[in-house]
Amino acid sequence: MNKKDRVSSTLELRGVSRNFGPVTALDGLDLVVAPGELVALLGPSGCGKTTALRIVAGLEVATSGELFVNGERYNEVAANARDMGMVFQSYSLFPNLNVSENIEYGLRARKIGSAQRAKRVAEMLELVALESKAKSFPHQLSGGQQQRVALARALAIEPRVLLLDEPLSALDAQVRSQIRDEIRRIQLELGITTLFVTHDQEEALTISDRVGVMSNGRLEQIDIPDVLYNNPVSTFVANFVGTMNHIPTIASGDTVDIFGKKIRVKNSKGVNGSVSALVRPESIEVTRTSGSGNAKIITRSFLGASSQIICQTAEGAVIQALMPSHESGDLHPGEDVTLNVTLNEVLVSHV
Amino acid sequence: MGAVEAQSRVRSSSRSSGVLPLLPFFAFTGFFLLWPVVAVTLKSLKGKNNEWTLDNFRPIIHSGPYFHSFIVSIKLAIITASIGSVVGAFFAFVIVTYVGGRLKNVLDSISAVFANSGGVPLAFMFIAAFGSNGLATKFIRFLGYDIYAGHFTIFSFTGVVLVYTFFQAPLMILVFQPAISGMRKEWREASTNLGASALTYWRRVGIPILLPPFIGAFFLLFAGGFSAYATARALTSGTVSIVPIVIGALVDGNTQASQANLGASLAVGMIVVALVIMIGYVWAQKSTAKWRQT
Amino acid sequence: MASNLRNSSLQKWSIIIFASLLGFTLFILPVIASSIYSFQKPGGKGYSFISYTWLLHQAGFFPSVGTSLKLAVLAGILNISLMVPTMVYLNFTGQKLKPLVDFICILPLVIPVVSLAIGAQNAMPSFLQNTQYELVFFFVIIGLPFTYRTLDTALQAISLKTLVEASRSLGASWIRTIIRVIVPAIRGGITGALFLTFALSIGEYTITSLLHWETFPTWTVVASQQNILGAIALSVFSFVSAIALLATVALFSKKGARQVGVDQ
Repeated sequence: MNKKDRVSSTLELRGVSRNFGPVTALDGLDLVVAPGELVALLGPSGCGKTTALRIVAGLEVATSGELFVNGERYNEVAANARDMGMVFQSYSLFPNLNVSENIEYGLRARKIGSAQRAKRVAEMLELVALESKAKSFPHQLSGGQQQRVALARALAIEPRVLLLDEPLSALDAQVRSQIRDEIRRIQLELGITTLFVTHDQEEALTISDRVGVMSNGRLEQIDIPDVLYNNPVSTFVANFVGTMNHIPTIASGDTVDIFGKKIRVKNSKGVNGSVSALVRPESIEVTRTSGSGNAKIITRSFLGASSQIICQTAEGAVIQALMPSHESGDLHPGEDVTLNVTLNEVLVSHV
Repeated sequence: MGAVEAQSRVRSSSRSSGVLPLLPFFAFTGFFLLWPVVAVTLKSLKGKNNEWTLDNFRPIIHSGPYFHSFIVSIKLAIITASIGSVVGAFFAFVIVTYVGGRLKNVLDSISAVFANSGGVPLAFMFIAAFGSNGLATKFIRFLGYDIYAGHFTIFSFTGVVLVYTFFQAPLMILVFQPAISGMRKEWREASTNLGASALTYWRRVGIPILLPPFIGAFFLLFAGGFSAYATARALTSGTVSIVPIVIGALVDGNTQASQANLGASLAVGMIVVALVIMIGYVWAQKSTAKWRQT
Repeated sequence: MASNLRNSSLQKWSIIIFASLLGFTLFILPVIASSIYSFQKPGGKGYSFISYTWLLHQAGFFPSVGTSLKLAVLAGILNISLMVPTMVYLNFTGQKLKPLVDFICILPLVIPVVSLAIGAQNAMPSFLQNTQYELVFFFVIIGLPFTYRTLDTALQAISLKTLVEASRSLGASWIRTIIRVIVPAIRGGITGALFLTFALSIGEYTITSLLHWETFPTWTVVASQQNILGAIALSVFSFVSAIALLATVALFSKKGARQVGVDQ
């Protein structure tokens, strides 16, 4: 199967909500995933992202709202007739069936002939590079291999939409990035519309076309990774995506004072008094001072091209900075330094 | 053994995992478990004059009542294990699926009491409940059905089946629950997601996975039903001739040597049946759970 | 979609109601029926404690209860003293012999107890056959399958190796390590094993009757021939106490597990 053989689908959710008793797990979610696009739903546990995915799969029922695939209303379509391939967190392979039998499970359910099944299984095994494991049982595979089989099984039925429910969270760090890249490669190769649920921001940012950040059942912001990182619309998004310094300061009017510099507050409505200014490590500049600066170096960690510098201000706040290594080589623990913020506007949050 | 020696023995055994610390266990089970089994086997092979013979086994095969008692025992074990395992599996399923938290703990504890209740008290409780004047009998009669209309009495084979079910099913609940808890929600969901019906899921995944533990539990129930003695003895005063009761009658009171030898051969017969069951169990596990091995 | 929801909850409730009814008929009804029955006056008119007090006046009651309690306590203690060191050793060293011990401990469930009793008649030396204390050893044997599981589960829930190595490296002897470190850590499991052996021993009938000793269960059967109502009252009483006893066990093992921080 390759991109040309199939027409990718559009997935659309309109005002989808889900209540569990008095708890609102999902609160009016609107989302359109374009054909061939990979959209990640990112958020802490309990934010509703998994509920959204399960509603799309038909494993959960929406309390209200509508679901469309290619413009066709899907609310009433039974879960086993939706043609959506889903990869679960872990342990989803049938333990009593070997790799080939797992992959052909959906094809058997569709009454596809054995010759065609065998061909399809071989294709899928090749796609995930597990030809040698065709006859192995799940418990004989590593965690990463199991998830690759789960992916192959989900893709074998040529689904309209691919659903990924934290497929990497049970894996070791090293395997995780490997499988992550593999998922993206295959997704691009097949051009399949994909909804990916994760709580790991790095995962979401690296392989998604767009990322939606969710909190309390609502979509806070959905955009390409660059925009999310550089232009978060809320303090929640700013905190959840990437590393963030919380610098204690005083807001007056629509400016705050950070390290002696007046900076405009982006979310100035009603903010006054003690606040935290949210500043990314790379927006902080550390320079050596001959006299007394406004902070002291605690540690410097060499990370390759860049280095992480941790300082403490005179007021006691711990600040993280990220600088090119060649510019920070002369910074040593214990030294007095001056911190500067290289921003024109900043998000603040109440303390 | 001196103190120093003892010290060094302890040291070395902790490193090289010697057998010595296990000696008390092996000595104890050897003397009180294995030796009686060997002794009864030897006894069953001895004739009147202490000569070696297979004569004691002849009545089991040729004489109606003794052969019949094995049939009754095996029938009782199969029937009660079947009812117990099906009913128990159903309850285990309901408990795992729908019951949580404290209520589940309570139900587990109650199941444990019932599963271990096979004994003298159970017999008398069932006489009180299901005897011809029992309160449960009256209650059911009140509902419009007289269980004593046919040949049923609590002191008959059917009565024993009823009583055994009372502890076999709860035993099944305890033994089978882990297997059902081990069924992952993801399997069911993945199956649905891949387009399969509920029927297909059970045929291809659910039943194949649950079959080995079910068979294992069934054999355990069979072994329990086959060798249970106290309940049937107290309930029927020996009128339902299952093997344990026949043996009990043979060796009770002043018995002649030949009767004692016959009793021993019946006891060995029970062990043989138990071993056959054990082998059947191992075989069934091997052939239904190939995917677990290697 | 809403109708889907309603259907599945309808199915759920009909299963639960069916299970409750079946459970009531099979398990609760007999208990209730026999409980009420045990309070009936002989002849059937009215209710009283007469069947319960009847047994207190029987000659054999207190001696047989005493014997049973004594033997059950001894069996519990012997079981623990034999199995705790054995299980600790097996779990600590990762002994190759563990499957063998496992197998031996399953045997009492497989070998019919009647056969074991007949074997005991022939195998035990006469000095043992002449004392009722011989029963203690067989009660321990019958308790093995349950003791093994209970202790094994408890031991696997603690980091045994770390505990032992820490204690040994601080200079404690093996005996001291077991008594002061391991036993407190698996207290829940030990209590559970103790109670199980105790409960099994209290109710044991087969071996006791075939070896011709009089304990509480064998005495009950004999007494029932005079007064079936008394026997029923006795049975109801022991069944209800068993529920209380096992509930205590459940409580204790829970607590024990929580104390070493492995509550699952």
